[in-house]
Amino acid sequence: MEQVITVGLGELAVSDHPEAVLVAFGLGSCVGVAAYDPVRKAGGLLHAMLPQHRNGDKNLTKFVDTGIPELLNRLLALGARREQIIWRYAGGAQMLAAPGLSNRFNIGAQNVGMTREVLARYALRVVGQDTGGHQGRTVRLFIADGRVTVREVSGLERLL
Amino acid sequence: MESLLTSEKMQTLLQVMANSGIERAANGLSEMIRQRIVMTVPTVSVVPISSVPERVGGPENMVVGIYLAAEGDLSGHVMLILNYHDALALVDLLLEQPEGTTTTLDPLARSALAEAGNLAASFFLNGVAAALGLSGRPTPPAVIVDMAGAILDIMLITAGQLGDEVLLLESVFQRAERQLKLYFWVLPDLLPLRSLTGESN
Repeated sequence: MEQVITVGLGELAVSDHPEAVLVAFGLGSCVGVAAYDPVRKAGGLLHAMLPQHRNGDKNLTKFVDTGIPELLNRLLALGARREQIIWRYAGGAQMLAAPGLSNRFNIGAQNVGMTREVLARYALRVVGQDTGGHQGRTVRLFIADGRVTVREVSGLERLL
Repeated sequence: MESLLTSEKMQTLLQVMANSGIERAANGLSEMIRQRIVMTVPTVSVVPISSVPERVGGPENMVVGIYLAAEGDLSGHVMLILNYHDALALVDLLLEQPEGTTTTLDPLARSALAEAGNLAASFFLNGVAAALGLSGRPTPPAVIVDMAGAILDIMLITAGQLGDEVLLLESVFQRAERQLKLYFWVLPDLLPLRSLTGESN
């Protein structure tokens, strides 16, 4: 039996339970960052909202730049090895262009840019990504084998 | 910010605002479709951000959002949320055709929804303005069809709302025996409201 663990907005979950499936539902401009150690068979999923940590905010996992190191640390604490962990990320859509809406800032693109930058800064191995566009996505990480799937609204689920 | 939203005075103010706004929105829509639409007294709740998608059927549920910003003394963001099927039914109502005629949201259907959203939001803001003595006007509406979670992202990021709670108004539209559930997500800018409750922090 699959054990679904929902990773809500600004949250992070890690697991080494073989039946666990970590899911971030309906990512819009948010990004989902999945990390998996295929030897240790442990993984984690981050659902970050904004690129950069704001002073004083205690919730590190709301932000890409503080959430990724947090995810790495949580996985290491589970016994994963840094050089074995593979990384994938998805999300960061530009939700729509309309007067007064977020396109001025395009947080989606900023989230993706920051994800790329932070993964590179820590020299983490990226094997897949699916970003941008104008639609929300649901991202799943299967702990049993580390596969990551992405589904868009009314669309089919595909492997990342 | 949380303590401000949940303070007793603010709760009372928000309920007054919601009642007045929703009543006007119902009247406006009734006039638009020339049929009596009743709306239930809205429930006003301050909920954790992460629970909002659950309220509208789960974060992956396909919903239609009609978004407007309010500008003026009374500023903030309003998102009307309908379930996809309710949105199709609303289009049929607006276009005066039998329910079930509309099966996809083509440009005409989207435009009808935008119009309805514009009207509901304008009346809503008028109602709020009348209750509070502040005026606000809506920006042109945008219609979005997507997962509830993704639509939530738009609201939060556009509003720059980084607190952990949001204001949610929920009301049911009813026309004859047909019910359409309409959610108003409202993110008011709290500064003007704060001065009304006389709270300094």
